[in-house]
Amino acid sequence: MRPKIRSRFARAVAICVAAAAVILVLDGVTHALMAQTPFGAPRSSGEPQLGGIVGWLLAKQSEFYREMSSTIRAAKSDGSAVWTLLAISFAYGIFHAAGPGHGKAVISSYLVANQETARRGIVLSFASALMQSLVAVAIVGICAWLLNATAKTMCGAEKAIEIASYALIAAFGARLVWTKGGGFIRALQTPQPVPALALAAAAPHDHAGHRHDHHHHDHSHAHAQGHAQGHAHAAHHDREHLHDGRAHDHGHVHDEHCGHSHGPMPSELAGPGGWRRGFGAIFAVGVRPCSGAILVLVFALAQGMFWAGIAATLMMGLGTAITVATIAVIAVSAKDLARRLSAGGEAGGALVMRGVEFGAAGLVLLLGAGLLFGYLAAERVTCL
Amino acid sequence: MRCCVAAACWKRRKLPKVKRPPDVNTAMRRLLSLLLLVGTLALGAGAAQAHPHVWITASSELIYAPDGSITGVRHAWTFDDMFSTYALQGIETKTKGVYSREELSSLAQTNVESLKEFGFFTFARADGKKEKFQEPVDYFLEYKDAALTLHFILPLKTPVKPKELAVEVFDPAFFIDFKFADKDPIKLVGAPAACQVKFERPNDGTAKAQKLGEQNFLGGDNSNFGMMFANKITVACP
Repeated sequence: MRPKIRSRFARAVAICVAAAAVILVLDGVTHALMAQTPFGAPRSSGEPQLGGIVGWLLAKQSEFYREMSSTIRAAKSDGSAVWTLLAISFAYGIFHAAGPGHGKAVISSYLVANQETARRGIVLSFASALMQSLVAVAIVGICAWLLNATAKTMCGAEKAIEIASYALIAAFGARLVWTKGGGFIRALQTPQPVPALALAAAAPHDHAGHRHDHHHHDHSHAHAQGHAQGHAHAAHHDREHLHDGRAHDHGHVHDEHCGHSHGPMPSELAGPGGWRRGFGAIFAVGVRPCSGAILVLVFALAQGMFWAGIAATLMMGLGTAITVATIAVIAVSAKDLARRLSAGGEAGGALVMRGVEFGAAGLVLLLGAGLLFGYLAAERVTCL
Repeated sequence: MRCCVAAACWKRRKLPKVKRPPDVNTAMRRLLSLLLLVGTLALGAGAAQAHPHVWITASSELIYAPDGSITGVRHAWTFDDMFSTYALQGIETKTKGVYSREELSSLAQTNVESLKEFGFFTFARADGKKEKFQEPVDYFLEYKDAALTLHFILPLKTPVKPKELAVEVFDPAFFIDFKFADKDPIKLVGAPAACQVKFERPNDGTAKAQKLGEQNFLGGDNSNFGMMFANKITVACP
């Protein structure tokens, strides 16, 4: 009976989590739909109409943003206003959540797709936010301060960078899809756990995929083999000589989910190569500056307070990083939780996880492509 | 919970040969683990909405011809001081801080050219039918009290004489927040005396309730959700 009680408990927990997830999804969808409405704006009569936390956040961030110009003006004569400016900028950064709205989504998806650790997520978030701030300072410093270029020129530069950034994200996503697609297809081809006996029946179906395996499993061969040796289950044996790559994969899944070892595979650990992979994400996201930061910097420059603008931009970046890091950690934890929840499902669980990684990789690609071709307007550069 | 799941798993592994019916529990867990992830990502993407970087205080006039048909819209849009300063970056002037209409002419040119891409954020319907605008005319910029004001006339492609005219001003992407002036937001110029003008602000509660049932949302044109929350001018001429 005990296992039954346990599974009932697990189910209760699962239902709670599911409910929370549904609420999150609905929330996300609602807000995605409402992304095009002037809901959360602070208007003369005040109260944000978009209910809930996000509406409030939007109202707040607009409020902070609007206070910046008057605070910079005040800082010209009153030094203490600089502290207010820094505080407002920091708060704006936190509320703004991510300079380019898509930054969070890209980083979170990347982390989920790539089995990254929460710690790495935090580092990536801070690095990309810092880069974003520095790019904004560089654009305004070079274009406006050194060259005294017009807003039109500056905006043109911003637009070019924006397109490059979106293209980079799409390319980055494509690479992730390519890599993760292999794992997903392999997991798909792993026969569902049902029966070692029914395997013969499944064989014709498997056949087509077999060739595919050969293309992909090269790089994972070494570690897969190591594991198979340690975990050769009887049930797998009769398959092994037929379907090399798949059987190994299967063994590895058992190891990861039921063997109390939840650590990433050695090849996935943050080595020098792993970090290099992360730079792709930092660069793709961080190269595109936030329009708000550019406006603040130019405004500060015109007031003869460029340094205050730089300080404000860096504070915004810090605030942004904190929010992005929080979301990244949530995403990574959610994936961990998902992995544990689907752990009982034998190969099916692995299929789900590979599918999730593949899906997250696809999301990065979609985001990049959507932004690039204008289907998504996260925070477009608008030149007026 | 981790313990539980691991334990359940452990039990299962001990009985590998038992053929079990499709496990509802497992299926459900798989499903919700997916949901959980989708939720997180949706949260990430959902919060990634645009918020305004530019604030415009607008006042508009609807211009009528002597025969009672409407010929166009004259806008005066005042930008917030941060954007005004940004827009003035790099503009040469004779006197520092003073910008004449001539010195601002190239910027005004840039403005109207860029606004074209966004349909001038002005959307008109005559008796429910979409109307198009021509290129703007008589445009110029004015600099006063640290703020730039863009003036321009948006002529209709063909003058119309509808029973009901609706003009909406808003940015669907919400990069720009349009707010109409508190005083004289809308004027009718040369309109027949019988015409009645009504103006609804986006966060006017009554306007919102009314708009939700309106045909422009239900009638297939719901690609633009933001439209429901626009600044809406309605002129009824019996």
